[in-house]
Amino acid sequence: MSEAEIEQGLERLGAALLNGSALQLVRIAGGFQLCTQSAYADTVSRFLKPERPKLSRSLMEVLAIVAYRQPITLAEVDAVRGVQSDYSVRQLQERRLIRDVGRKKTPGRPVLYGTTQQFLHQFNLNDLSQLPKLAVDQPTLPLMDEVEAD
Amino acid sequence: MGTGHELQTVAPTGPLGLFAPPSIHIECEAFVGSLGTLFDCLRRQKVDLLDVPLFPICEAYTLYLVDHAGQDLEAAATAVAALAYLVERKAWLLIPAPPEEEPEYEDPPELIEPTAHEYAPAIELLSRRMQEREQRFFRAGEGELGYEIPFDLGEVTADDLARAFERLILRAQPEPPPSLGKPRRSLTEQMELVLRVVDRTWRPLDGLIESPFTRLEAVWWFLALLELIRLGQVAVRLDEGEVVFRRRMPEDDLPVRELEADA
Repeated sequence: MSEAEIEQGLERLGAALLNGSALQLVRIAGGFQLCTQSAYADTVSRFLKPERPKLSRSLMEVLAIVAYRQPITLAEVDAVRGVQSDYSVRQLQERRLIRDVGRKKTPGRPVLYGTTQQFLHQFNLNDLSQLPKLAVDQPTLPLMDEVEAD
Repeated sequence: MGTGHELQTVAPTGPLGLFAPPSIHIECEAFVGSLGTLFDCLRRQKVDLLDVPLFPICEAYTLYLVDHAGQDLEAAATAVAALAYLVERKAWLLIPAPPEEEPEYEDPPELIEPTAHEYAPAIELLSRRMQEREQRFFRAGEGELGYEIPFDLGEVTADDLARAFERLILRAQPEPPPSLGKPRRSLTEQMELVLRVVDRTWRPLDGLIESPFTRLEAVWWFLALLELIRLGQVAVRLDEGEVVFRRRMPEDDLPVRELEADA
């Protein structure tokens, strides 16, 4: 079975689920996954009682900077924020929202951070291109020869 | 420009040191006055030494020596020292100085302005996305750390992992039965056991122990019997060359009494 046939089948499944089903097929984190319809969120939530840890404003800020400027070093995050961010970076790593993606080929070979697939999943994104454009004068991403993969 | 000199009162100290030079009068375009005053003006940078010709000063000094020969050697020595100082200073001033290179000052590094506020819209959007995501429930459990999507194993499938595990299990040796080990026994307990077995019948040692037995059990039996014999609860004797045992009876005490009587 070809990839195109699979995608067609998934589209048909998704369309079929839209008609009276409590489930839906969503494209998320680079794949397809079944989940409940948003309309039933309250009902399911009362049943499951999910405990979703909240992200503080500082964690969200670091996460946004990493998401938009990845791969990025800790020092660069500090420079953008004007404060130290090592705690936030560690917290985001523990929550598997960012990870080491290599080392920068500069003195000290600092670790470069990037977002994870878990980040895409948790923020309802299929890929990083779905991040909205900002009015920020975004620096160009480092060339590949500046990045030393782990 | 004219030259001349006049002897004035010599000051004990002057602007250049302990002894002021004699009041040799100097007169040139740049300066008119005594030698001591010239030094003072040079020190205060009111006169440029390059503008002062040294010839009239040397000539005035020579005339001073001629006029006051041998009168005040100390003043004359001070004067010649001052003159030598002037010559040296001027000589240094006349040496062309190498052009001074302008120091290169690096531009101070620009302080980086924090720009985190520019990401505020992104934070808002990510928060909205997260709220949308929380309206959906996936099959994976929503535990304390949220959900965990499957790891990317590349080409390795779950079946590959299962087959590898099956091969490993087939090669594994069966677990050896746990060693029960006999509970550690004290000599007292062993003696109680022996007393339960030993009765009025004379029996050899291997007739007392229930077969099969180990070497350790034999040692324990033998030690217990020795201790019981010592305590007078088991009697022992030779029966046709073989050692036999039984519970000590009153008649077994007779030989001891005889020995005591003999003693």
